[in-house]
Amino acid sequence: MKKMVELNINGEIFEIEVEPHRTLLEVLREDLGLMGAKEGCGLGACGACTVLVNGAPVLSCLSLAVEVQKKSITTIEGLTKDGQPHPIQLAFVNHFAMQCGFCTPGMILSTKALLDRNPKPSREEIKEALGGNLCRCTGYKKIIEAVESLVEK
Amino acid sequence: MDKEGYSIIGTRQPLVDGLLKASGAARFTADLTLPGMLIGKMLGSIYPHARILNIDTRKALALRGVKAVVTGADIPGEKYGFLRSRRDETGLTRKARYIGDPIAAVAAVDEETALEALDLIKVEYEELPAVFDPEEAMKEGAPLVHEEYERNIVAYRGCDFGDVAAGFRESEHIREDRFCSQAISHGHLEPRATLADYDGSGRLTLWTSTQSPFYVRRDLSLVLNLPESKIHVIKPYVGSGFGGKVELSSHQVAASLLTIRTGRPVQISLTREEEISTTRVRAPMIIHVKTGVKKDGSLMAQYLKCLADGGAYASSSVLLMFSPGLTAMIPYRLPNFKYDGYMVYTNKAVSGPMRGHGANQPRFAIESQLDMIAEDLGMDPAELRLKNATQAGDTSISGLVFNSCELSKAIKESTKHAGWDKKRGQKNSNRGIGIACSGFNSGARIGGHTASACYIHVNEDGGVTVLTGSSDIGQGSDSVIAQMAAEELGLSVSDITVLSGDTWTTPIDPGTFSSRVTFYAGNATLIAAREVKKQLAQTATKMLEANEDDLVFRDKKVFVKGSPEHFIPFGELVKTAEAIGHGRVIMGYGQWAPTNTQFPDRQTRYGNISGAYSFATQVAEVEVDPETGQVKVLRMTVGDDCGQVINLSGAEGQVEGSAAMGIGHALMEHILFGDNGQIMNPSYLDYRIPTAKDLNECVLIEVGSPDPIGPYGAKEIAEGLLISTVPAILNAIYDAVGVRITELPATPEKILEALERKKGEKRR
Repeated sequence: MKKMVELNINGEIFEIEVEPHRTLLEVLREDLGLMGAKEGCGLGACGACTVLVNGAPVLSCLSLAVEVQKKSITTIEGLTKDGQPHPIQLAFVNHFAMQCGFCTPGMILSTKALLDRNPKPSREEIKEALGGNLCRCTGYKKIIEAVESLVEK
Repeated sequence: MDKEGYSIIGTRQPLVDGLLKASGAARFTADLTLPGMLIGKMLGSIYPHARILNIDTRKALALRGVKAVVTGADIPGEKYGFLRSRRDETGLTRKARYIGDPIAAVAAVDEETALEALDLIKVEYEELPAVFDPEEAMKEGAPLVHEEYERNIVAYRGCDFGDVAAGFRESEHIREDRFCSQAISHGHLEPRATLADYDGSGRLTLWTSTQSPFYVRRDLSLVLNLPESKIHVIKPYVGSGFGGKVELSSHQVAASLLTIRTGRPVQISLTREEEISTTRVRAPMIIHVKTGVKKDGSLMAQYLKCLADGGAYASSSVLLMFSPGLTAMIPYRLPNFKYDGYMVYTNKAVSGPMRGHGANQPRFAIESQLDMIAEDLGMDPAELRLKNATQAGDTSISGLVFNSCELSKAIKESTKHAGWDKKRGQKNSNRGIGIACSGFNSGARIGGHTASACYIHVNEDGGVTVLTGSSDIGQGSDSVIAQMAAEELGLSVSDITVLSGDTWTTPIDPGTFSSRVTFYAGNATLIAAREVKKQLAQTATKMLEANEDDLVFRDKKVFVKGSPEHFIPFGELVKTAEAIGHGRVIMGYGQWAPTNTQFPDRQTRYGNISGAYSFATQVAEVEVDPETGQVKVLRMTVGDDCGQVINLSGAEGQVEGSAAMGIGHALMEHILFGDNGQIMNPSYLDYRIPTAKDLNECVLIEVGSPDPIGPYGAKEIAEGLLISTVPAILNAIYDAVGVRITELPATPEKILEALERKKGEKRR
């Protein structure tokens, strides 16, 4: 039985009908054409589906679309403003912090959540914050270096 | 500009598609949709070994929203397989050989309906006796996984160089040891996915997550009985593969059958569970190694015996079993060497290529044993490596030709940088340092076709398009190729667009494996770029009144050496050159395969199978917690010889990535098989791969000098590195707490157990 939900994504309001059991990840990808969030494992173990809900990193494959109404959702697509990449995106590019790019949207959003709440994280704090985003290509070192380059002096 | 005078080669370059990936705009296969697209799902066997007597699809077909169901009975063509000599798969099978072996597939309007339909498919199985252990499978009377293969031996490869018996007789110390390496999952973050579209005119298009569009095309042609030229395989962005995505995969066959049946596009994406349990794993192996040395550490003889568990289908079997013998000959001067390698069928998930492809498991054994020998002789393990290291100009007794080799330098620099002498043998500190060396081929000529080609189009604005069949799956080959084209043509990387991996538009290419892309496609790119320069020179020499040899292509300009102020902008030259006479098109074409290689001799296996070999030394520093058995890898210091580095950031990325993957293989990853051969931990929750918290320091020291054959002197880097990571860590654990783990992974439980045993032995 479909429900009408109102989702606030990247500052835009979407009104759509969804079945209550559909995940936020499914709705983003299948109904709204926002493909940045990925399904890597379907169980919340890899972090590739990470989006921000009210600024906090959330596993969208384990969230129901109906439970994130009235909340401010940010996906990777929301980071580019007026064609300008976000500083985190630029840092990732310039530090070679991605290879295949599949984990990258989730990794960048986890980074944003971290820096928004703590602009001066230590290396340990960075590793802890990114510990839920799996990457098989990079070994994480350049990702951490990219994040460190954004840490307020 | 670096010492070779390059502006771009050897520098740090961001990925050409970095921004696309960072913005989430890079489209992977599961991101693609087509109008009318159906969702497909696969049904796997519930028994490890069973004949499929009948599949009743009526109820499934009757479910609203289901558009087609296909089974093994619908396969129109022949068996396929990575190797022509071992074609044993049809994608959907009529005899199940492992739990999860795909037997049917459904296409429906959405995922839920497809899943419901799977439950409605009624399968009549005739269960057969199954075998799960490779040693059991080789015994007379064991159930046969494939009837044609006696004792389930799918591949035997061996070689016998020099006189091993004499070598052992002349040895002053001999060790014989047994090691085990476990099944590993590739762990690429992007699960396999395919979007297949049959357009009714007889043309099949596949967008698919693959390392080799041309292998997919070749084998699809066989199994679907469709001409290759009617099959269009396109590689979108791929979320890595590490060897897992080289071959044709069941879901690609299923999606193709379903689109042909329905006339609608069909998308199949595997779940992580299907990824881990029904695709490929790294071959579990039992390795026996017997090595004889003189008292001064000189290697006299080595006998290597490998038994690999091949799982239910052949995959790269023969090639995989060739690798231990091949790669054992690379890092050290071995005067006598014998090898026997068997791969055996079992009713379990299939073993296939994975980064290192059969080199990693024996390297773990050999490098661990070298440390044991060093201890027996009272010799420093680094000294032992140095004593035997291959040198540039050597030819191994198996015929491998080492035009360039800086292994000795790698050993010296990495140990020095890591503080080897100071850190080695610290008692009571729980910290240890260990070393391992390896070498790897840059592509290999074992059999069949392995050339690469490249087309270069030039535009009047000075922008250049490079078309290559080689696949960028995240390792950055598109960026490397762009760098080479830019350097050669005197342009900047942002002027180059690289299109790769499309069977209709890019030249035929074996794809991304065996660490061949930089070496082969890079050389093809250089040849094509030089072609372009030659064509443009015909016009430039007239415009500048100069000889071709005096022309310089630099900074998007063409000028005569010594007179940079009298230049023609590159784009303007293109425009002029194309307008001349009756008009012409400036286009470069290059193809390349090494000419200094041979297929190995069928009897003796002698032959130089690669144009160049890379070398690496890894020094691992670990800290072992004696209370929990947990190992922390504090630092990996890597001395690497990949010839000329093309992209320094890319090279470091490969070192760091392989360090993490090696930590997983050494300490934490283990595919667990249940009593029925079923994979018991097919999820990232139970199959742990390293996280950001697991890699600490990692340092790359590049020691290579330009190779005469490689493009700009480059050799491979990405695959060879992983091979020495695991033994370096295991050797460091021994240095730290004196326990030698010979069965991977070195879990905390095993280390604690070993520490207990050691305490017990001390007390006696």
